Amino acid sequence: MSTNRALASPKILRGALSPRGSSRSSARSDHPALFLIPALVVLVVFFFVPTIFNFVYAFTDWSSFKSDIGFVGFENFADLFQSGTLLNALKVTLVYAVLVAVFQNVFGLLLALLLERDTRINRFARVMFFIPVVMSALAVGYIFQALLKPDGALNGILSTLTGTTVSTAWLGDTTWTIVVVALVHSWKWMGLSMLIYLAGLKTISDDVLEAARLDGASWLTTFRSIRFPLIAPALTFNVATALLGSMNGFDIVQATTEGGPGGTTELLNIFIFRTFGQGLFAQATTMSLVLFVMVAVLAFPVIRILRKREDVL
Amino acid sequence: MKKNLLSAAVIAATSALLLAGCSDPGAGGTSADPASWPDQDTDLSGTSLTIWAAQNSNTVPDSVIAGFEDLTGAEVTVETIPDPYEQGIQTKVATGDMPDLAFWQPTASQLTALNAGTNLQSLDDAPWLENVDPALRDITGLLDDTRYAALVSTPAVQGVYYNKDVFTANGVTELPTDWESFIELGRQLDSAGVTPFYEMGADRWGTQWWVQVQLADAAADGLWDRVNAGDEKFTDPTIQGAIDTYASLIDEGLFNDDIKTATFEDQGAALLAGDAAMVVQVNSFFGQLQSLSDTETLNDTIGFFPIAPSGNIGSFIPDQSNALVAFATGDAEKEAASRQLLSYWLGDGYADFVETQDTISLQPSVPTPDTVPTALVSVSESIGTSVGSMQALAIANPDLYIFLADMIQGTKTPAEVAQATQDQFAQLAKAQGADGF
Repeated sequence: MSTNRALASPKILRGALSPRGSSRSSARSDHPALFLIPALVVLVVFFFVPTIFNFVYAFTDWSSFKSDIGFVGFENFADLFQSGTLLNALKVTLVYAVLVAVFQNVFGLLLALLLERDTRINRFARVMFFIPVVMSALAVGYIFQALLKPDGALNGILSTLTGTTVSTAWLGDTTWTIVVVALVHSWKWMGLSMLIYLAGLKTISDDVLEAARLDGASWLTTFRSIRFPLIAPALTFNVATALLGSMNGFDIVQATTEGGPGGTTELLNIFIFRTFGQGLFAQATTMSLVLFVMVAVLAFPVIRILRKREDVL
Repeated sequence: MKKNLLSAAVIAATSALLLAGCSDPGAGGTSADPASWPDQDTDLSGTSLTIWAAQNSNTVPDSVIAGFEDLTGAEVTVETIPDPYEQGIQTKVATGDMPDLAFWQPTASQLTALNAGTNLQSLDDAPWLENVDPALRDITGLLDDTRYAALVSTPAVQGVYYNKDVFTANGVTELPTDWESFIELGRQLDSAGVTPFYEMGADRWGTQWWVQVQLADAAADGLWDRVNAGDEKFTDPTIQGAIDTYASLIDEGLFNDDIKTATFEDQGAALLAGDAAMVVQVNSFFGQLQSLSDTETLNDTIGFFPIAPSGNIGSFIPDQSNALVAFATGDAEKEAASRQLLSYWLGDGYADFVETQDTISLQPSVPTPDTVPTALVSVSESIGTSVGSMQALAIANPDLYIFLADMIQGTKTPAEVAQATQDQFAQLAKAQGADGF
């Protein structure tokens, strides 16, 4: 709003002072391209250059072992796709992203419905559920790692409740640990989803809900036929950010399992971190390019499908 | 407006491309020929030096720094680089950031990883070398016949830490003298209802020692030279055989039942409590034991012997806290000051360093304090006859431990472990430009 006014006011001034100046020419002379340079420099240095580096280095042999960098064409890509590790990491990343998207949205929506009314307790509860969102992801990871250890607090509680010794290794199962880690990730971010769903629910007009009530619609019918379709934009945003954000996931998994057990939670970013640490900078860059392409390929159809749902609004 | 946008986009694209022109930001100064060594007490007022250290080595130089600052007037700062230390330093150096000195694993693979020829100062003809125990002088720190690292404490040795009480309770009086008797002892303890060996599958990094100690004889016979040249692979019988043996011992049930979830901390606690009889580990394991108990108890309960197929031969593996490298920063004055600090550290300051660190001396003229635990003395006694580990002798250090941990978890077969290690080794060797890859 303020930018619009700032742009508009000199034009009005100029128009008042010189009756000849048409709006087109005055706009051009008032805002020479030169003015763009400071912003452009920031954009180029901090955004374009790193992005371009990310593309360029993927085609080189940049490593910590020598000083010169040479172009090697598509060799890094060929090597990567030949070894099964990359494909495994891609698969793990995709499974993880889908799990997080599902859990985070289910939890977020349930919380939003539960805490919808503006009571004092609900307001307090909303804050409590939002706190994990602002916590450090690594801290969350390490806390859960301690809780979920075989001799950790969770097993301690379960042992007391059941009366037998429970020593399940929650983070040591090659099949189920990825689900546990996805649950931790969703736990951290469900507060954000809750907030966005709450905002969506608040925009629904009372008239519509009252009409439904007068027609005798139950809570479930109202939710299924009216409220859920009406929060479609919130769903689009939540699913897209959860899915695409968790594909770039690293911190929580690194803190809880470091990609283990047996590589079953090795997300692409953990693989990239490991490769970079070995001094294979070019190969690590190639992987991040592959991740970028994968996120892009997935983002467009997902967002398109979700946006289609909004067309009824 | 459209034209403006277009020209802006053109400017953006060209300037970005210009900036992105390929150059290695980590290409440092070039290391000169073996340089002169200033006297230890040369005045350095106004000179400041930075040492990079890891979380577990950042207090190691305290006494040396205090002494050096008093003697020369220099100002020395220790900067702690968070773990994972090696990765952090490699990334910093790659992007053009360098200290004057840093703690660094003095092995060929890690010196290569720092691009020693370009980034590090040569330490040939250092004044302290004549004082170092001849058996230890040249075991590590060298790359392509140039010395790049100064060893300040004894390197770690892979070997067997055992609980003396468990041995006594089960009538074991003679320590194993070769691999066969070592495994036989394990089986004997197992049938007596004792857990013979303890492994930390969850923390992963300790898994590689079991494979490496089996390769000690082959290493003495030039195994790693052949691997470095691409003439022998991890998948060939020697290394594959060691992996297979490790897998079969696990299958046989000679290890702890919770091998998949056990951690480094669990391992130390288990050996100390006598829940397990033996652990194949390196010196940092003893550090863990020291954090759990006092020297007297440890002297009474914990012993050490090296092991290899043919006898009691250790495999040494220097780590980051054992040595320092001096960077070729391009500032001749500071480079000389770095060399001077190392001369002092291993010269007039060494006795004090050994005393305050309570560590084993590398120089016969400087006595080892008698407060050093006996197990560590056994470790250092084995160094003279030990051979280099994979980390010490191979040109690259693949993630063998991760793949072995995968094997313990059941997601890789022994053959897949060897293949994955070989693939990664070849990738690293190729990136280094090694012949044969």
